[in-house]
Amino acid sequence: MNAALAALLSRATGHDVTVAAVTPLSGGASSATFAVDTTRDGVAWPLIFQRGEGAVGMPKRVQAALQRVAGAHGVSVAAVIAVTEERDGLGDGFVMARVEGESLAPRWLKGAAFTGARAAMTGQCAAALAAVHRIPPGAVAWLGGGSGAAQRAEMFALYRGFGVDEPAFDLAFAWLHERMDDVSATVVCHGDFRSGNFIVGPDGLRAVLDWELAHLGNHHEDLGWLCVNAWRFGVWQNAVGGFGDRAALYAAYEGAGGTAVDPATAHIFEVYGTLRWGISCLQLADDHLAGRVRSVERAAIGRRVSEVAADLLHLLKYGTI
Amino acid sequence: MTATIDLVAAVREFIAGLIDATADAPAMLTGREAFHARVAANALAIVERELGGDAAAAEIAALAPFTRADAASELLVTTAAAVITNRAAICALLRARAIDAGTPGLVDALIVATCARLAVDNPRYSTLARLAGDAAAKG
Repeated sequence: MNAALAALLSRATGHDVTVAAVTPLSGGASSATFAVDTTRDGVAWPLIFQRGEGAVGMPKRVQAALQRVAGAHGVSVAAVIAVTEERDGLGDGFVMARVEGESLAPRWLKGAAFTGARAAMTGQCAAALAAVHRIPPGAVAWLGGGSGAAQRAEMFALYRGFGVDEPAFDLAFAWLHERMDDVSATVVCHGDFRSGNFIVGPDGLRAVLDWELAHLGNHHEDLGWLCVNAWRFGVWQNAVGGFGDRAALYAAYEGAGGTAVDPATAHIFEVYGTLRWGISCLQLADDHLAGRVRSVERAAIGRRVSEVAADLLHLLKYGTI
Repeated sequence: MTATIDLVAAVREFIAGLIDATADAPAMLTGREAFHARVAANALAIVERELGGDAAAAEIAALAPFTRADAASELLVTTAAAVITNRAAICALLRARAIDAGTPGLVDALIVATCARLAVDNPRYSTLARLAGDAAAKG
């Protein structure tokens, strides 16, 4: 892979790029990520290579295009350096800059070195989301999505496909059925905007990662997802990602030019997001159980379903979590 | 004879020993291997808690008022399979709109049942402590 990446990078940049090491960072059912240590004209140049595995999900060239568009709209992203072509023999992938900072959320949510970052994150996340939601829906082809009714129905079909019966999930589906069906889907949503998908430095948000779940949706959807309890990593008192509070997020979002926020609609999407994380737990466990990705990590995630059930029941009983 | 729960504990301790450095030697596993070993040890801790308690009985008892009368007799056996059957019965009623969040006692019963499961799956999860007052009061 080293020689192929060196050829791609030299061609894309017009510089002499050599690749010293390619280190796998994480692998999943749909993509694999590698740290790529290169030198450009003799100077160390650390990069990331991300490649699609199988034919599921957003093609990586689409993700790369979206990441570039988001950057042009003022969202902090890793600069896209090169996108693979057929002749590279590297599969469907792209190379981006390796942004220095902390990507493990519990570290920046709890570490003393990140006190200033945590104070800045609410405003920075609000501004980033307002910018994402300003991307013209036609700027990137391929984006799927649908109305509230379509999203809920699609997720219910996915849930039923696993053959698992989880009463709290059915309760939440019924609750959402009465509330989210006529919500419009008009803006580009990041789709996975949460504390685990950021690179954070002492100054706060440095890069928004993982654009592969982007779709056309409602602007409240990204706001609700950011508040899902699982992404607070135990710092549940700070509803926004473990670092901020909802009213401040909504005010900053509107202040950054975002469309007006209706707290009740944001709450509906927080419930929807909580349920969506629960369905993801079932999906990850099913990857293991069905043999697509045998992994002790995925097997264990199947037991996180009871955490989500507890969160949903708290949301339904008390109207918040 | 070594009981099942003690066998599981022995394997958990062995795995945990691979990721912890001692005064005499560095950790056997690092990086992603150490991460997966930690996950594996945690998974065995779940098994130990499940073997050491009776979360299945607690869950079935909590949901008994809402499962159909004709199914109730089959559900007296509190095995893992019976828990699955019981959840399926509740879900069928929810999907048929025979019960919903407004059904008196349903949400509270599910909270009791879920707290029993969380005490096995992840007793340190913050929402367990937040809901536990409910579970203690109703259970």
